Amino acid sequence: MADPAVDPGIPDIRGPLRYIWWLITSQRRRVLAGSFWGSFWMVGLMAPPYLLSRAIDDGLVPGRFPTLLAWTAALFGVGVLNALLAIMRHRTMTRVRMDAMFRSIRVVTQHATRLGAVLPRRMSSSEILAIGFSDVAQIANVLTITGPGVGAVLAYLVVATLLMSISPMLAVTVLLGVPVLAVLVGPLLKGLRGVETTYRDQQGHLFTRLVDLIEGLRVLGGIGGKEIYAARYHRHSQALRSEGYRVGRVTSWIQALTVGLPALFLAAVIWLAARMAAEGSVSMGELVSIYGYVAVLIVPVSFFIEGGYDLSRGMVAARRVIRFLALRPRSANPAAGLDAPAEPAVLHDPVSGVELSPGRFAVIAAARPQEAAEVVERFGRFVDSSATWGGIPLCDIALAQVRDRILVADNDAALFAGPLRAIVSGRTEHRTDDFARAVDAAMAREIVEGLPNGLDSAITLHGRNLSGGQRQRIRLARALRAEPEVLLAVEPTSAVDANTEALMTAGLRSHRAGRTTLLTSTSPLVLDQADIVYHLVEGRVAVTGTHRELLATDRRYRRLVSREDNDQHDSDPRRTTNHSDTEEVTR
Amino acid sequence: MTGRTPGTPALPVAGRAQIIRAGLDLIRRDRRAFAAMLTLNTLAVGAGLVGPWLLGRIINEVQAGATVSTVDRLTLGVVVAGVAQLFLLRWARWVGHRFGERTLARVRERFVDQALALPVSTVERAGTGDLVVRGTIDVSAIGLALRDAGPDVFIAGIQAPLIVAAVFLLDPLLGACGLTGLVGIWFAVRWYLRRANAAYLEEGAANSTLAEQLSATAAGARTIEALGLEQRQIDASLERVDDGYRTRERTLSLRTVLFPVIDISHVIPVVGVLLIGAVLLNHGMVTLGALVASVLYLRQLSQPLDTILLWVEQLQRSGASFARVEGVSLEPADGIGAADSPSAYPAGDQIQLTDVHYSYDGTREVIRGVDLTVHPGERLAVVGPSGAGKTTLSRLLAGIETPTSGTVTVGGVPIADLPTQVLSRQIVLVTQEHHVFIGTLRDNLLLAAPESTDDELVQALGAVAADWVDQLPDGLDSQLGPGALQLDGPQAQQLSLARVVLADPHTLILDEATALLDPRTARRTERALATVLKGRTVVAIAHRLHTAHDADRVAVMDRGQLRELGSHEELVALNGTYAALWRSWHGERREAPPP
Repeated sequence: MADPAVDPGIPDIRGPLRYIWWLITSQRRRVLAGSFWGSFWMVGLMAPPYLLSRAIDDGLVPGRFPTLLAWTAALFGVGVLNALLAIMRHRTMTRVRMDAMFRSIRVVTQHATRLGAVLPRRMSSSEILAIGFSDVAQIANVLTITGPGVGAVLAYLVVATLLMSISPMLAVTVLLGVPVLAVLVGPLLKGLRGVETTYRDQQGHLFTRLVDLIEGLRVLGGIGGKEIYAARYHRHSQALRSEGYRVGRVTSWIQALTVGLPALFLAAVIWLAARMAAEGSVSMGELVSIYGYVAVLIVPVSFFIEGGYDLSRGMVAARRVIRFLALRPRSANPAAGLDAPAEPAVLHDPVSGVELSPGRFAVIAAARPQEAAEVVERFGRFVDSSATWGGIPLCDIALAQVRDRILVADNDAALFAGPLRAIVSGRTEHRTDDFARAVDAAMAREIVEGLPNGLDSAITLHGRNLSGGQRQRIRLARALRAEPEVLLAVEPTSAVDANTEALMTAGLRSHRAGRTTLLTSTSPLVLDQADIVYHLVEGRVAVTGTHRELLATDRRYRRLVSREDNDQHDSDPRRTTNHSDTEEVTR
Repeated sequence: MTGRTPGTPALPVAGRAQIIRAGLDLIRRDRRAFAAMLTLNTLAVGAGLVGPWLLGRIINEVQAGATVSTVDRLTLGVVVAGVAQLFLLRWARWVGHRFGERTLARVRERFVDQALALPVSTVERAGTGDLVVRGTIDVSAIGLALRDAGPDVFIAGIQAPLIVAAVFLLDPLLGACGLTGLVGIWFAVRWYLRRANAAYLEEGAANSTLAEQLSATAAGARTIEALGLEQRQIDASLERVDDGYRTRERTLSLRTVLFPVIDISHVIPVVGVLLIGAVLLNHGMVTLGALVASVLYLRQLSQPLDTILLWVEQLQRSGASFARVEGVSLEPADGIGAADSPSAYPAGDQIQLTDVHYSYDGTREVIRGVDLTVHPGERLAVVGPSGAGKTTLSRLLAGIETPTSGTVTVGGVPIADLPTQVLSRQIVLVTQEHHVFIGTLRDNLLLAAPESTDDELVQALGAVAADWVDQLPDGLDSQLGPGALQLDGPQAQQLSLARVVLADPHTLILDEATALLDPRTARRTERALATVLKGRTVVAIAHRLHTAHDADRVAVMDRGQLRELGSHEELVALNGTYAALWRSWHGERREAPPP
């Protein structure tokens, strides 16, 4: 078994064949062992026809029972030996495929983590799912060729030698005939590759539509349109079916020829051999053995045809994997390697004019929340910008240092499957006191207590077994637990009710005391607790101050946070409570 | 798939009898193609069996001193059989492939129809993830069975008995001898199948979690980068890889027992027939030709048997997938019984709740005996603290939930029984959630009112102040969704409001309808909606008390009960729960509570 602790290595992504070759050379010894067993097995397959012919000629025809017994015993012995060789080959080749498959998965996973934030924009999740579900396995299948491939050639030569002793003419016929058969199927395989790619693409689109439809089921159930979407799906499904017919037209020929061509060839050889038998130049046993050889030769030939088929499929799959592995992390400035300021320093965003001093608890309020989020994107260096940190251009600082000290927490942040404890801990070690502080500050204590196994409860992928408000609090707890020097949080309380919102903000503030924190929000309950509020208008800071100062002095700000046409209800909290109802459903 | 929280009501999985019924039904629907498949494959296999038989004849003829011309005649038969086999096989495969594609299309279309028929509450409780997995991964597994495994096993299933029959025809004694030689296989396969199913299910589950892990890593790449979770994700995926290795080693160890036994079992009949055949030959009870042909047939038998063994486990896995896909049909569909009966059409616009109780889990009631009449044309605000049952009430009014006891009716008809197309003309629930379908903007609007003209669509967009539409280069024909135009939150919300305008219901239930709108457009949208919905009933699940202030009546919910009902002024004067709420939110804002 391959050792998972060993690094999978650096893949060769200059082409699909090179990638496959890399998978081969990464496990040279195992592939060699596979070839060894495969070759022996394949050659071993050629022995029974010979033994059978001797049993007939020396035992059956002259009626010599002891001789027959001896040859039959040999036939049985070779059968047992072949069975053992076959399983050795199968075991080795299965491990070769396993190694190739898991090695691919590991390099893809590593690359995905290396790509980071740019990945979802560069490749759709369904494509990546296809890599994980089918592509890696299909590439691994290609490696099957390496085992019996060599053996097939050897077996072919062995049969040629054996035939040579019977009749040179037959030997030449077989020697030339078999490669011709393999070549005949070639163009079909190429055609298959084309139609299969189209089919797969369309199938992928149909899947996407299905997912779209299922995710929109609530809309369709509430407002109608089920019939329209059902009809549309049927139409696309029928189009895929027609495309499937096109694939079937080619595949059916390949399947028929794989069986039919060798059978026809066998008939031709038998014709030659039977005539010789009638003329007396070939014995009965030899006639049977010729039949046996050619029949057995189907095995190596079909291995080649299937291998070609696997290869053409595997190349399509390998291309997709390579395309993924070739994606480069978004760094306009790969040479970026300046050191970050040694001490907490001012973050400045010239685009918006936000200037964030160390240790502040600041909130951006923007009429368009997107504009506030964009400031965070720039400070978090998820986009290249002119933002600076302690006067140093942010995009010239080594990315690792930025990620290490500045943390962006947003509501799209992924929640991975695992025990709640591991999710909140993130990369940090689990330490009870720090952990409890983060959980309490994010108002997540009641979630922990509401789960059947507390902190050890399993959270499913994307936190599907939590409500929206619970997810938000878990995300905040995780961000707090990471204890970043600078925390940038986009609308961290948007999915909780007003009461929780006030408590969360207070918890957040006290947890972050002395450290730099920037939130975006338009909720008065959040803004009221800020050291400083930046009011963004058209993406620029229009005015700064405390919530109360701005309320008192700035009419536009007052209108924004109160969401009123008149100013009389400016103190109304605006946030929802309906998520806490959903929680009850989920539990 | 796995990892579902205990207690979450998953969608059902079909039982054995139902799978068989559904499978037979699929064959019945395409019975001509199926019959053609059966016939053509049998003929093709038959043609493939001519070779050894003629070779036996040739041996007998040559032994009897036949001429070259006799040999020519017989071998011509071998060639003809070979050609026939090739073309019959191609035809059989072609018919089979088309049958497979058609059936697969039928399966996935049926699945979608059934998924669409599911009540919204079922979908919400089971989670869309399960449906997605069934519709993609499981349907693919069925496809594999229909395209590859099925036809191969089908052919092998015809081939094996025909070969045995051929040997019996040549000589019954040799046939019996050959058949007894295969007994070992039966035991080995029984041993194997007992263990294989669980082992392969485990392998399949490991595959799925590994692939899910990969796609989760990809989808969450930004978070991984932000939180520095790279190593954690790599470690987690290594654990999955380890599982992959472990489960695959387990199935490999099962095959390590099975395959050699099978291979050796294939040799035994050949050896047995040779030895017994020698004795029979000695006594002149069998010809050399028949004996040789029998041996050749028995050697050929290994091929179909291997094919069946190779695929049997894949077929089992596909069978499990089919059970999951079929299982969706076991869930009761939406609006059953009401769709076709004309008497079920609501008579009037009045919504009536009578002694309504509701519980999600059958034990704890979240709605406890609510009586309420919503008058046509009124504006009713529902307020109350978190957990009071406001959302549940809105879901009952929208027909998403059926009350545990009591009735919720519109025009005298239970709302939950109304089919969607009737319901959406009556009552529409507007929530924070919205979905933009892949397709054009027009498609996204038409679903609410399929007969609308472009003018009506544009008007509906105008009513919700979706002025961004004017800037779209292709107007209503603009493609939306991944890879095309991606609407942001507020735009998607406006789109879903425009759908409501088009659906034109007499009653609207607003549950934080504008929560995702950006504050400036929200005001405009609300104003626009107000004009559009003038004269309609509005039930607003209010979190901002000024909504309640503006409403005709206010319903105060607390712990599942309707505590107070009346106009804003009445309730303030009543000096009860509402008055307290009003004072607390409208009064001086509190200082931040202590952490």
